[in-house]
Amino acid sequence: MGEKENRNGLNGRYSRQIPILGVEGQEKIRQARVLIAGAGGLGSVIALYLAAAGIGFIRLVDHDRVDSSNLNRQILHWSGDINQPKTASAEKKLLALNPQISLEIDSGTIDESSVSVFAGDVDLIVDAMDNFPTRYLLNRAAVARRIPFFHGAVRGFYGQAATILPGRTACLRCIFPEGPPAETSPIVGATCGVIGSIQATEVIKYLSGKGTPLGKLLFWDGLHGEMDGIDISRNPSCIDCGPFAVGGEGT
Amino acid sequence: MKVTVRAFAHLRDILGKELEIELPEGETIRGLLAALGESHGGFQEALFDGPGQLKPLNNILKNGRNIDFLDQLETQIGDGDVIALFPPAAGG
Repeated sequence: MGEKENRNGLNGRYSRQIPILGVEGQEKIRQARVLIAGAGGLGSVIALYLAAAGIGFIRLVDHDRVDSSNLNRQILHWSGDINQPKTASAEKKLLALNPQISLEIDSGTIDESSVSVFAGDVDLIVDAMDNFPTRYLLNRAAVARRIPFFHGAVRGFYGQAATILPGRTACLRCIFPEGPPAETSPIVGATCGVIGSIQATEVIKYLSGKGTPLGKLLFWDGLHGEMDGIDISRNPSCIDCGPFAVGGEGT
Repeated sequence: MKVTVRAFAHLRDILGKELEIELPEGETIRGLLAALGESHGGFQEALFDGPGQLKPLNNILKNGRNIDFLDQLETQIGDGDVIALFPPAAGG
């Protein structure tokens, strides 16, 4: 049976997930539009799993080029891709993995003026950035549009993830009023696999309407092999999601 | 009163994963941290840059609320409160 006949995946590509997500859930995934911000360590894992799952439209944004120091963790990029734009390298792999998806790549920078364009016509945003200032821009854009923001970050053997549902949960700024100082984070590649997979799982759950969204800040401690949930709650005076948020978009 | 302290990442190496501590009524986060500093070597240096100056790497949550949005180090603690100490990751 060819790809076309398998579009609904009952006998093919999606046949192992449809029993869990349902034909309806799979269709919701196919109709979804998703922004993945970053094609690095987290973005590689997230983009591969979301493409494989059959997300209908993925916009992948990253302004960097592949460097040899990326190769211990950024599994979308291989030795032959060094010096290529990460988006071009990602496009080759993602479309080879699943030619059924619609993939839009952009090598632009996510900043104050571009964030609303990148986030303007998607159903959700996945955080695969390597810095907090850009994460805060994405968080604010998600709050303004009242769309979910799937946060993840990694360092060494540690990582964290949170599913932010504007108006219902704490936003990124409620949890972290200030980001840690910029640094070149040491990182074990597999940590990106753990956290990126959690983020991708949360996206698939949300889109297909399965399960309950991650309601805590999840902290992964790879050194001890333990995962913990940390209670988080909204800050009523949050500058990003509170009633006095800049732009009056608070929820 | 008793409060629970949960520590993450490198702070766990100093404090252990979770501990209960007995504190006088009305104690603040500052008092809690001072008590932990006395009982656990290396804690003060891990948390503070200088006297009373928290390192930006560290987040302190009281029952899920970041103390930055409460009264910071002067935030009062009550019996049964859960205080989480953790350094957020930033890489991607």
